[in-house]
Amino acid sequence: MAYLRHRLRGIGPYFIAGLSIIFVWQAVVELLHPSSAILPTPAATAETLWTLTKSGELITDIYASLSRVLSAWLLAAIIAIPLGLLQGTNRRFERVFEPVVELFRPISPLAWIPLAILWFGIGESGKIFVIFIATFFPILLNTVSGVKSIDPVMIRAGRILGCDTSLKLFIKVILPAAMPTILVGLRIAFGTGWAAIIAAELVAARDGLGFLISNGMEILRSDMVLAGMVVIGVLGVLIDSVFRVIGKKVNWGAQ
Amino acid sequence: MTTVFDKTQSRAKGIHIQNVGKMYYPPNGDPVEALKPVKLDIKPGEFLAVIGPSGCGKSTLLNIVAGFEQATAGSVLVDGVKVDKPDIDRGMVFQQYALFPWLNVRQNVEFGLKQLKVPEEQRAAIVKSFLELVGLQDFSEASTHSLSGGMKQRVALARVFCTNPSIILMDEPFGALDALTRSMLQQELLSIWQEYEKTVMLITHSVQEALVLANRIVVMTSRPGRIKLDMTVDLPYPRDSKSAEFRTLEAEILSELTDEIAKSYGCNPPSVTAD
Repeated sequence: MAYLRHRLRGIGPYFIAGLSIIFVWQAVVELLHPSSAILPTPAATAETLWTLTKSGELITDIYASLSRVLSAWLLAAIIAIPLGLLQGTNRRFERVFEPVVELFRPISPLAWIPLAILWFGIGESGKIFVIFIATFFPILLNTVSGVKSIDPVMIRAGRILGCDTSLKLFIKVILPAAMPTILVGLRIAFGTGWAAIIAAELVAARDGLGFLISNGMEILRSDMVLAGMVVIGVLGVLIDSVFRVIGKKVNWGAQ
Repeated sequence: MTTVFDKTQSRAKGIHIQNVGKMYYPPNGDPVEALKPVKLDIKPGEFLAVIGPSGCGKSTLLNIVAGFEQATAGSVLVDGVKVDKPDIDRGMVFQQYALFPWLNVRQNVEFGLKQLKVPEEQRAAIVKSFLELVGLQDFSEASTHSLSGGMKQRVALARVFCTNPSIILMDEPFGALDALTRSMLQQELLSIWQEYEKTVMLITHSVQEALVLANRIVVMTSRPGRIKLDMTVDLPYPRDSKSAEFRTLEAEILSELTDEIAKSYGCNPPSVTAD
């Protein structure tokens, strides 16, 4: 019972936020009477959502988008975490690598779309590349700051307790000490990657939530556009909450 | 206590601090002399307390003995071997406890034993006996952030003593604790030290703490630090801080120390009471 109440307290605000958005949305429709092609009612959008779910189209789109974000995010993690650990521990590497990162970081994932098409064609890899760009930097920067914010006394304790090689110290102290911050980076990156699917799926996609939205726009079905937006929002919150639960388990209470 | 801990292996070692000095060279500024060459021989089994005003270089000296920092003059020898890096044979207790928050109490105590590749069964027995020694047997699976400061420092003591080092270095280990917890931990440290016969080098700013624990006290001058007073304390343990002898020694050290603190501020000695 206490557990349920605790759970509800977490979901409650989202429930109220959802209701408020629907309320305002409905009020705008009632007051301004826009044509349904410009702003459909919440009910019409819900109906479209239901139709898309029944036809299986929505599940296909969700699956397509999720697997793209997931592969790009994993790829980014595999590359960015080791680079971040290296940058955080090695001054010389940092001096060379940091300016490179800082030059690339302000370039939006959107800007990479033309090159993504040229380099990877219109297949899956181009889309994954665009999301990769969106997920890479949050993971890298958080890994670097995770390593740099380790209390030096932890390193000393590790060294005097028998971590006599850098590798031992790295595995036994540096990595676990930086882990909570690295996880924050992974969570933020999944969020930015998820937000970038629209951009990624502008690259000649035939499925995915981004496709649902851009296709809806082309055929003037704003209910489909809104349905896609709702799904992206709700799934984003759900995925983030999964990360939060994991993050709490791995946050050693120190930060 | 079980006899998993082979006391015969633990022979306390002496520390020879041979004209150890430390200069810092800030990238933009004049070199700073943190420590004037210090000569100090610490006998095996001795409990040495180093007192001095803050910034006198006493922690620098300890860090050089630990191997965390390199001396810019002289060298530290332990059993004839030059110290150039940290070693598990010289345990360290930090003021900030330095427990690993990703490990529970038992895993923290076990950490050094694992690095020493002590077999699992033996390891478990050693950890158990040391957790009992510091009274934390019921907290072995607790996470460290659920512990009070005193309990954290007990874990740190167990973690250091269980690897059976020949030297224990302590950098103001009880400085962050309240008075009651501090005096309890001082007594626990004393009984562990008496049982295991280690060489201890303790850095403290508390004259009373030094007098309760140490059988030799060194007072350092303000920066750049050098040794001003080197005194052997023959009072029997446990020491009564209200006894006349205790009070006399305390007053003597305090007056030396007060002069130094005043010098470091460039003013007349203020009246100081024992803390």
